[in-house]
Amino acid sequence: MESIGVLMACPMNPYLEQELDKRFNLFRFWEYPSKPEFLKSHSQSIRAVVGNTFAGADAELIEALPKLEIVASFSVGLDKIDLPKCKEKGIRVTNTPDVLTEDVADLAIGLILATLRRICECDRYVRKGLWKKGDFQLTTKFSGKTVGIIGLGRIGMAIAKRAEAFRCPISYYSRSEKSDCKYKYYPSVVELASNCQILIVACPLTEETHHIINREVINALGPKGFLINIGRGPHVDEPELVSALIEGRLGGAGLDVFENEPHVPEELFKLDNVVLLPHVGSATIETRQAMADLVIGNLEAHFLKKPLLTPVFSGKSVGIVGLGRIGSAIAKRADAFGCPISYHSRSEKPNTGYKFCPSILDLASNCQILVVSCALTAETEKIIDRKVIDALGPNGILINIGRGRHVDEPELVSALLEGRLGGAGLDVFENEPEVPEQLLELKNVVLQSHVGSDTVETCKDMADLVLANLEAHFLKRPLLTPVLGDI
Amino acid sequence: MESIGVLMASPVNPYLEQELDKRFNLFRLWEYPSKPEFLKSHSQSIRAVVGGVSAGADAELIQALPKLEIVASFSVGLDKIDLPKCKEKGIKVTNTPDVLTEDVADLAIGLILATLRRICECDRYVRKGLWKKGDFQLTTKFSGKTVGIIGLGRIGMAIAKRAEAFRCPVSYYTRSEKSDCKYKYYPSVVELASNCQILVVACPLTGETRHIINREVIDALGPKGFLINIARGPHVDEPELVSALIEGRLGGAGLDVFENEPYVPEELFKLDNVVLLPHVGSGTIETRQAMADLVIGNLEAHFLNKPRLTPVI
Repeated sequence: MESIGVLMACPMNPYLEQELDKRFNLFRFWEYPSKPEFLKSHSQSIRAVVGNTFAGADAELIEALPKLEIVASFSVGLDKIDLPKCKEKGIRVTNTPDVLTEDVADLAIGLILATLRRICECDRYVRKGLWKKGDFQLTTKFSGKTVGIIGLGRIGMAIAKRAEAFRCPISYYSRSEKSDCKYKYYPSVVELASNCQILIVACPLTEETHHIINREVINALGPKGFLINIGRGPHVDEPELVSALIEGRLGGAGLDVFENEPHVPEELFKLDNVVLLPHVGSATIETRQAMADLVIGNLEAHFLKKPLLTPVFSGKSVGIVGLGRIGSAIAKRADAFGCPISYHSRSEKPNTGYKFCPSILDLASNCQILVVSCALTAETEKIIDRKVIDALGPNGILINIGRGRHVDEPELVSALLEGRLGGAGLDVFENEPEVPEQLLELKNVVLQSHVGSDTVETCKDMADLVLANLEAHFLKRPLLTPVLGDI
Repeated sequence: MESIGVLMASPVNPYLEQELDKRFNLFRLWEYPSKPEFLKSHSQSIRAVVGGVSAGADAELIQALPKLEIVASFSVGLDKIDLPKCKEKGIKVTNTPDVLTEDVADLAIGLILATLRRICECDRYVRKGLWKKGDFQLTTKFSGKTVGIIGLGRIGMAIAKRAEAFRCPVSYYTRSEKSDCKYKYYPSVVELASNCQILVVACPLTGETRHIINREVIDALGPKGFLINIARGPHVDEPELVSALIEGRLGGAGLDVFENEPYVPEELFKLDNVVLLPHVGSGTIETRQAMADLVIGNLEAHFLNKPRLTPVI
């Protein structure tokens, strides 16, 4: 794998750099004075990008790397990666979930205690010799205060579990209420802020969550309320936060992230009711090593054609032959399951968001589930031949809801019998109602009797259309669904 | 009750002072330039003493107050009160347990996180503008580390409960093993220190527990170990602790108490692996008010011949 070009977007971890260097042909983006020059010389070699919270893979970079296959992020947050662009180009994305959950949750609790109990200020007080002059002021208790969490994913839940041990009632906001959740749900961030004393941001940064903490939310939290941000700087309208803190409209804040890291608004430096940390949420030796190992593991898995360890697009990849009405409807449903979608058709369709494969062999090589949904024509007869079946491979699945003659049936049967194809779901056959008997014994096939549209509702609708078309014709009105004739 | 003389040993809390003043004939010991003079004039009037962490009722004071009936401590710790002498003279003693348990346990966890994740240092780093020059160094994870607790009373148990939420295996040392306890017991502090990564002192200060953290224990905890003290300064052999930290024989320490408060060894000021707090364990508005109310409540109960709220003896 030493010839595989991997581009590291910025310096993030010496151990990771060293390990990438050992295994791949590593390009350190920051070492090149001119990025355009670098891209001109090396763009054809780069098959992977390693990014993090500061620099990832935006649309511009993705466009500039035509051989890019995978973006492995040294973070769990994906806000620096153009995910729709990756989906569109069939580029795989991995991140580092789970291994950093505890560290970030620990830091959230640490920030709460440091902010409410003024631990940093106390430490400064002692070191400046002020204790000899008098006791430190009284602060405010943490245990028992209501904690509101925005985003109840892995990190949000880990924070909740810890806060529960401090007898804190927990409430939360997320895009939709979670079933089976013992914590109190609020349908808006303002309502959550109005009903808790400590508000914690723990959701992903997306367009919708940009500035989710705005003036209204800050005012709802109020002069006795505390904001804790271990999400992303842009979650908070920073100028609003700063003025609220200076004016006393907010009780205090514990912040690990800022809108323009590493720049922190200097007005905050003279405040004693804030704790300011340099984005250290996951910055322990143990966790950064685990994150680096995950990045390496994912890259190796990708290039060795093994399953990715922590893929972002978690569904199996689906390849669709023919992106007409039925193909598009299949794509939309599979997309909702998080499946990366690619397709083959006679020509590329604009603006689908799916990856176009100009050859069906390409499509079959790069998907796990291949669905036939094109029209049967002279060109598409036996479009699923031995080569395509072999490209799909022993872990691949063929789904045919097109026509039996799309598939070279004897080839399909022998591939299934010999284990060269993982499985098949077939609604159609070359000689219906004959179904090859060898298939009847197999456990990895599902056989349907051409029932694709056989629901009561649809058959009625189809019958109505047939009748309406006939009537329209004989009454000299425009046909409803002409194929030939009035087009 | 306004004629009852109550002696407050040190200025612990303005609200408490104010409430005592309303109800009793309050004497503020620190306002008298000469303690012997004060005692000569007023010793016959004093029927109650209100003590705190820095000054309570030692044998000398007890002897000097022949009408003393009750000592109400504005603390849960009783190390500043001569309990045997009180018993001998039939003097009642009360303290402020339970109301401060959570605050002290919260601070213990806060100290652990601040020490391991270098929160104070990180905050200094940002305020000094150093982040623009580069990222802060990596620190060490808290979740999952073994936590050893000396003393498994109210505060020790509250610390254990919190540490469990961070997936920390908890072990402890006490004078005798507790039955029905899910945590692992070690019969000596050295064994406990050898088998945990974060050692927390949470026991009372008595003759036996003075300097319970000595060189042997510190060495057993080791260069990757952390000491957290939210109990009393004299629990720790402070010079030994300081040299262990300077020499790197101990990984770090989070300290809320010191042998000679408010004096803190200045050698510690240049270390970045320590967090130093000015005895703020129970120092929140909510808890100090609850403690003050308990002191008042105990005194009133005593003088009204009702059962005291939180008696010690």
